[in-house]
Amino acid sequence: MENIAERVKAVVARQLKVDPSKVRDESDFVKDLGAESIQSLELVAAFEEEFGIQMDEEAALSVKTVKGAVDFIAEAIKKQKG
Amino acid sequence: MKILVFEDQKVKQLYPLTYLRPVWELRCGAGTILDRIKRLFPKNEFLFWTRPELVPLYRRKSGKPVNETKALPGKESLMLLNGRWLPAPGEFVPSKKEERVLCGETLLYAHLAAEKVNEEDDLCSLLKKTEDLPPKEVQARMINYPWDLVRYNAEALKEDFSLLGKRGVKGKMAPESIIYGPEDNLYIAPGAEVHPMVVLDTKGGPVIIAEGAKVFPFTRIEGPSYIGPNCQIVGGKIREGCSFGPECRVGGEVEETIIQGYSNKYHDGFLGHAYVGEWVNLGALTTNSDLKNDYSTVSVYCGGQLIDTGEIKVGSFIGDHTKTSIGTLLNTGTVIGMMCNVLGVGVLLPKYLPSFAWFISGKVLKGFGLKNQIQTAVAAMSRRNVQLLPEEEALLAQIYEATKEERAEAIAKSRG
Repeated sequence: MENIAERVKAVVARQLKVDPSKVRDESDFVKDLGAESIQSLELVAAFEEEFGIQMDEEAALSVKTVKGAVDFIAEAIKKQKG
Repeated sequence: MKILVFEDQKVKQLYPLTYLRPVWELRCGAGTILDRIKRLFPKNEFLFWTRPELVPLYRRKSGKPVNETKALPGKESLMLLNGRWLPAPGEFVPSKKEERVLCGETLLYAHLAAEKVNEEDDLCSLLKKTEDLPPKEVQARMINYPWDLVRYNAEALKEDFSLLGKRGVKGKMAPESIIYGPEDNLYIAPGAEVHPMVVLDTKGGPVIIAEGAKVFPFTRIEGPSYIGPNCQIVGGKIREGCSFGPECRVGGEVEETIIQGYSNKYHDGFLGHAYVGEWVNLGALTTNSDLKNDYSTVSVYCGGQLIDTGEIKVGSFIGDHTKTSIGTLLNTGTVIGMMCNVLGVGVLLPKYLPSFAWFISGKVLKGFGLKNQIQTAVAAMSRRNVQLLPEEEALLAQIYEATKEERAEAIAKSRG
């Protein structure tokens, strides 16, 4: 889980072009990290690529925070990769 | 004689244009293929046979019997007529006897005696019964691919102008506008308005401006062209061979292009040799290429295969509800599915974008999901006082599922 969190934060920092130190568990993608709606789509694509998983777009886009994304991805990995 | 208009397997070659409508509802000339058939047979009763998934929606929209076996038998004979056929005036002279007429291997129409049709029949059994009749071979204009509609549009417009038989200015035309060419090559319907500083160039063919349409200043419309009911032409060059269905907003430069209806291409930007579906919005400066720099023939993706059109000029084919951003550039012969969102700034699009996909920063993405896209469609349609029907929503969900695999493939390919 720790590894997933680190990789999620690295993807977020790279994709949204923010300082990695500003990407915290409680960070809200829109309010704290300034994600535009289109960037959220790119973020979903980047997570899929990073972790080799498929994410349901509507469910994925309802995730608001970094911690939420980590949990969502961990669950997807468990379901899709066992 | 009753006429059963039917779809055959080749309608799938016309995706994405035929996802939400039977092939005979596609436009060519001053109306749809069905409008043309009805003009040729004004007194006959019409029945329809389409793909099963379209039946609930088309039944609701047409108000006619669709895939209804009980409506088939009766005292009258039954004509089976292929909905991909664009008949020319005078070409279709059915005999009173039973007959079967083919174009190559494709059935154009067949005439069955009343006693041969019963309540247990469906399209398949009726087609089987026609096989006993001696075939007659003819040459005909078949709509095999989307570009066929564009190719036949100019001549179909001229034919429709003759068939309609309407001439002259019945609406308003400002005295500061001019008819450049024969005046009897123009029809401005009652309720239509042509503002000052408009040139209606009828030298190359007729210009038809339907009821409620408005043509704003600094527009040049070249015939043959058809401006549909309540359209607004907001300045620019509408060159020969254009047909716009109802409620379109069109500006910029458009040539040899068909727009199904309710779509916006409001701003500058070139659209040529294209077919655009309904509820499409093309952002400012969206431009398509319709000619390759080496003047070779254009290939287009159809049913997963790249097909050589044999044509030098081919533009884009854009499915219903698709939106493009400002500055989108469409490659020659591009096909964009329905409900796509294209942010094509500074990069050429791939030649094929599956339905419901998004294209952002040179990559194909999943988008916001079906629910969100349906909400957008509802919002867009309500601006023109049109409701998204429950049958339409159900069909959209089916198409979304059916196109999932090709979307996933396009996403994987774009990731490299």
